[in-house]
Amino acid sequence: MKDLIQKLTETFSPSGYEHDIRQVIRNEAEPLVDEIKVDALGNLIARKGKLGKNGKRIMLAGHMDEIGLIATHIDENGFVRFSGIGGLYPHTLFSGRVRFVNGLTGVIGGERIADVSKTLSISQLFIDVGATSAKDCPIKTGDVAAFDRPFFDMGRRMVAKAMDDRVGCAVMIEALRNLKSSPNEIYFVFTTQEEVGLRGAATSAFGIDPEIGISLDVTGTGDTPKARKMDVGLGRGPAIKIKDGGMLSDVRVVQWMIRTAEKAKLPYQREVLEAGTTDATAIQVTRAGVPVGCISIPCRYIHSPSEMVDTNDVDNATKLLVALLSAPITL
Amino acid sequence: MNDILPFLKELLIAPGLSGFESPVSEIIQKEWKPLVDEISLSQLGSLHGLCRGNLGAPRPSVLVATHMDAIGLMVTGLQNGFLRFTDVGGVDPRVLPGQQVWVHASGPKADPHSPLQGWVVQPSAHLLPEELENKVIQIENLFIDTSLSPEQVRQLVRVGDIVSFAQAPLDLNAETLAGHSLDNRAAVAALTICLQELKSRQHAWDIWAVATVQEEVGLTGAYTSTFQLRPSLAIVIDTTWAKGPGSGDWNTFPLAKGPTLFWGPNIHPKLHKSFKELAEKLEIPCAVEITGRHSGTDAYATQVAADGIPTMAIGIPIRYMHTPVEVVALKDIRRTGRLVAEFISAMTDDFMNTLTLES
Repeated sequence: MKDLIQKLTETFSPSGYEHDIRQVIRNEAEPLVDEIKVDALGNLIARKGKLGKNGKRIMLAGHMDEIGLIATHIDENGFVRFSGIGGLYPHTLFSGRVRFVNGLTGVIGGERIADVSKTLSISQLFIDVGATSAKDCPIKTGDVAAFDRPFFDMGRRMVAKAMDDRVGCAVMIEALRNLKSSPNEIYFVFTTQEEVGLRGAATSAFGIDPEIGISLDVTGTGDTPKARKMDVGLGRGPAIKIKDGGMLSDVRVVQWMIRTAEKAKLPYQREVLEAGTTDATAIQVTRAGVPVGCISIPCRYIHSPSEMVDTNDVDNATKLLVALLSAPITL
Repeated sequence: MNDILPFLKELLIAPGLSGFESPVSEIIQKEWKPLVDEISLSQLGSLHGLCRGNLGAPRPSVLVATHMDAIGLMVTGLQNGFLRFTDVGGVDPRVLPGQQVWVHASGPKADPHSPLQGWVVQPSAHLLPEELENKVIQIENLFIDTSLSPEQVRQLVRVGDIVSFAQAPLDLNAETLAGHSLDNRAAVAALTICLQELKSRQHAWDIWAVATVQEEVGLTGAYTSTFQLRPSLAIVIDTTWAKGPGSGDWNTFPLAKGPTLFWGPNIHPKLHKSFKELAEKLEIPCAVEITGRHSGTDAYATQVAADGIPTMAIGIPIRYMHTPVEVVALKDIRRTGRLVAEFISAMTDDFMNTLTLES
């Protein structure tokens, strides 16, 4: 599992440029499923199982895109100005390293500010790719990049860029490996463009028309010094989402998840996240409406280049997902 | 016509936060059952009532949407027996301290039929950091006190439990009513009046009377019910800002002086014009409410559902919106119900042909 997470998080694929990660995931998932395809927006849709008696059509969504940067302007000295793809926190950027999708690398520098206690805004930052002029700068306006940070295995905990949401993708792949049999027709959807508006989930859900939707994504925690007030912590189990900034989970789905976790004696946490949302929000309003929920992997420092998760939470999220999918479902 | 007040009060007393609408949905079902031909629930819990028209099938249909969910609070944590909370659907923190609430506890020892009483409390001013003294205390620093011990609270309350406002509705002078959740139970009452009127009248079109879920958190019910029912037209009834102390001038509307007819890109121009002409003919007073983009109502969703639905929105003015003391004039509710009923009964089989987009 750790090898898989390393492989997924060290791939560079910001929103809209999911080509590389899609290939990596496809290689992992294809031998495990009955059918696999890529839709018009680049979502990788893998079906496992056929609708049996008492079965349901279920859509799982883990987004394979990551936040990134896009070059907006190259100045005369070859410095690259940029804006964000998805939500970037400027205070996590300065002196960071980035890798463009075309393989080129750069470091993030900033304008001098008199008061160093202040944070540079994105418009005061630039990428230095080692160019000496606009002419020899290999980056063009519109080129995209992602954070360049290696995966760290800290034993119980793991740190990487793009843990949001490659860890969710890893849980789905691992569930595919462990799922023995199911009466359900399950669509494992590795979605595109979540970070810029849940766009891949919206269209793939329309295509699949599921009876139940579940997203697998990260959620924030309240367990670091002077953190936001939130009753979710690393290592206390996967979080069953009740509410987030964009959605109220379907009450029936929440109850089903809690029932299943308790029956399987798996640890879980009840999640109320006050800001941020997941692919489940888009699935919920698809067509005539879909009951949805979300299994969250607690994660520290979300949307920074060093996102941290707990190995046990990842394992237990996988077990919970397999338990949910294995049996007939009555909501 | 039945007096609408007892029904409206029943709606206001019932909880029914966004995502947890069952208590209010059951009351509406009971009231609508004798007024409609069929009634059912959507996947997400919106209530769909069908009144068949007297044209031959297939008939055009008009969807009338009123959201039944209400804003409220949700428990985010337990701290020494006090409850931390967040809001569901946008609550003004300035009016929270001192509010009496019901905590719908779901813990192992909780009785689902009897919510816990509690009060929203804030720390005394002199206990706050200096920079917060005499400031509005934000939700993350407010608590709910149930006067139970920390151990009792642990047995009863869990993260994610919902909290509803407990203030009973209050009759004020001159046929006005104060209470929480008038947004949008006032509109549910107006739609009910409309259905009562139409019971004894002819109408060519099918009517889908819809009480939507989760308007306050993203128009969820309106998107999905409109997609499912595929009406030819949609009419949305919601509340709007009435004039009151400190309210703006140009963007608020007098209480008890009639509903508003929305106008702007969210609204089909011909539909607006038809409503305006009918209101003038019937001498029902109406104001025109200009909305430059998002109408802030389910109309924003009905308009873009499926392949696009011509939409009209009507506002019932209320004071102090999104506080537990919203105020409405019953007259405006009755006028709204009557106007929509008159409109629907006047719709001929070729009404859709009049909805051209040319000026």
